[in-house]
Amino acid sequence: MRIMIAEDDALLREGLALLLRAEQLDVVATAGDPAEFLTALDEHEPDVAIVDVRMPPTHTDEGIVAAVEARRRQPELAVLVLSAYVEQSFATELLAGGAAGLGYLLKERVGRVTEFLGALHRVADGGTAIDPEVVAQLFARTRTDTRLERLSPREREVLALMAEGLGNTAIGERLVVTDGAVHKHIRSIFAKLDLAPDDSADRRVTAVLRYLDDVRRRT
Amino acid sequence: MARTAAGVLAALEQLPGALGTGLLALGALLFLLVAAATSLLGVGLLVLPTALRGVRAVAERERGRLGRWGPELVGPGPLPEPLREALADPALRREARWLAGHATVGLLLSALGVLLPLYAFRDLSFPLWWWAVPREAATDSLAFWYVDDWGGVGLVVLLGLLWTALGALLIRPIARYLAARGRRLLDTAPSDLSLRVTQLTATRAAALDAHATELRRIERSLHDGTQNRLVAVTVLLGAARRAVPRDPAAAEEILEKAQLAAEEALAELRSVARGILPPVLADRGLAGALSGLAATSAVPCRVDVDVPVRCAASVEATAYFLVAEALTNTARHSGAGRADVTVQARDGRLCVTVTDDGTGGAVEGRGSGLVGIRRRVEAHDGTLTLTSPPGGPTTLTAELPCGS
Repeated sequence: MRIMIAEDDALLREGLALLLRAEQLDVVATAGDPAEFLTALDEHEPDVAIVDVRMPPTHTDEGIVAAVEARRRQPELAVLVLSAYVEQSFATELLAGGAAGLGYLLKERVGRVTEFLGALHRVADGGTAIDPEVVAQLFARTRTDTRLERLSPREREVLALMAEGLGNTAIGERLVVTDGAVHKHIRSIFAKLDLAPDDSADRRVTAVLRYLDDVRRRT
Repeated sequence: MARTAAGVLAALEQLPGALGTGLLALGALLFLLVAAATSLLGVGLLVLPTALRGVRAVAERERGRLGRWGPELVGPGPLPEPLREALADPALRREARWLAGHATVGLLLSALGVLLPLYAFRDLSFPLWWWAVPREAATDSLAFWYVDDWGGVGLVVLLGLLWTALGALLIRPIARYLAARGRRLLDTAPSDLSLRVTQLTATRAAALDAHATELRRIERSLHDGTQNRLVAVTVLLGAARRAVPRDPAAAEEILEKAQLAAEEALAELRSVARGILPPVLADRGLAGALSGLAATSAVPCRVDVDVPVRCAASVEATAYFLVAEALTNTARHSGAGRADVTVQARDGRLCVTVTDDGTGGAVEGRGSGLVGIRRRVEAHDGTLTLTSPPGGPTTLTAELPCGS
């Protein structure tokens, strides 16, 4: 896996590169601002780009603009967006055009190396990684949805992990249950929410996020 | 004809009041002159405030009188307590001008206006009662001549007609003149008020703006500085934990970096907190805080703080940042050999002056921190002046209401 890092904070950029290289991952280039990032992107054509949202010159959403432009240039590129804070409305916008090969995580998740590497691989493989914080924000406003209330506590846990972009096996590992049990939970969830069952993790993420977002908008 | 008569009568109604305030004005004027004259010897200073309050009181009475015959006049409110501020009060100066005129010309004119109809009435009615009064009272209204036959009576009636004509001619202009002069000098000029409102609106907007900028600055330094450092700490710790079983030596190296990052986070946090409100201000007051700044200044700096009272915390912080910015600029751009910082509290205002003996030519803007400082100063309804002719010296002066 060939990786590029766009992060304006030098210490963080080097720390991230150090961590990934220690995991025998191939960090082909690092960049400190959007222009540098796009130039290096054309040169190195990486598989995954890890992009900080706030970068010079205005430190607002340069990273997102750069990520969108990078995807336009290289549609196969997987992008993992890192941010100092996460906003669910922003996540739903980011994933509006499809969740395949996209991730949106709080910066500090990098420190939980195993989970971070899992998310990185998932995104690189065309999957999705949504920060648990975003999912929590979505769930926080869905108290009034009667269909969601029909879910058992376990089913809600499974739904949250689905929303984060985890596949069946990963969900099974997190909850320490068998694949078959996960499968059963998911079928039950989709039936209760009137969603068409889908085994593809990234379409599933989109469906689940859209459902949660709809609930949020209604309330 | 009837309209003229009504107009004259309406004007006539105003004049006794004007005569009253004219007499009061004469008293107040004499008192003021005596107080002012004896002030030169010192004793008058004791009664001068009372004399000034007298001026304002008479002016207020006149405002009330004028308000009965037209739009209400807005007074300037009570006089400031300190004598110096009271003397500098522009409204009071205008009142004094009005008083001088009203106590002299105004008094004579209003007296004339009141006397004319009285004389006219007396002389026109003279034929009805002249025979009944003793000879020494049977004169014309001005007592020029004695009347002892009907021919004389005729002359007095003629004089009465003259008074009537003069009254018809003069009363309205007199009333109009007195009212116009009073309104001109005694009304708190609406333009001044609206100017003040515009100013306040602007400074209030600037205050909100400065506030928002300040919040953005704090938020950004927290996010991009402190938080990034802490994220780096967690990233490095994560990497170190992974490295421990594989390569303990590398793990040690990474931990060292993590510790450095944590220390940097603390330093960032300190500077952010300092930028909000320097703790040294709370601990040692403005004088102590400024001495601290001077001690760390790259240019030798003398600090002279004469502020017996504590000002509002935000005002002190603004003064502190102003001096800090000025000293930084001095060190960076002026080539100065020394700088002087003077802070004085005068009449509820804090005056901060920073001077250096550098090459001058300093310009606000161009990325200088002065823009931010100016916003802060103006947000407190203060003023900031920068004079920096080519060749120097550069002087930065700020005046801030103490706010306490």
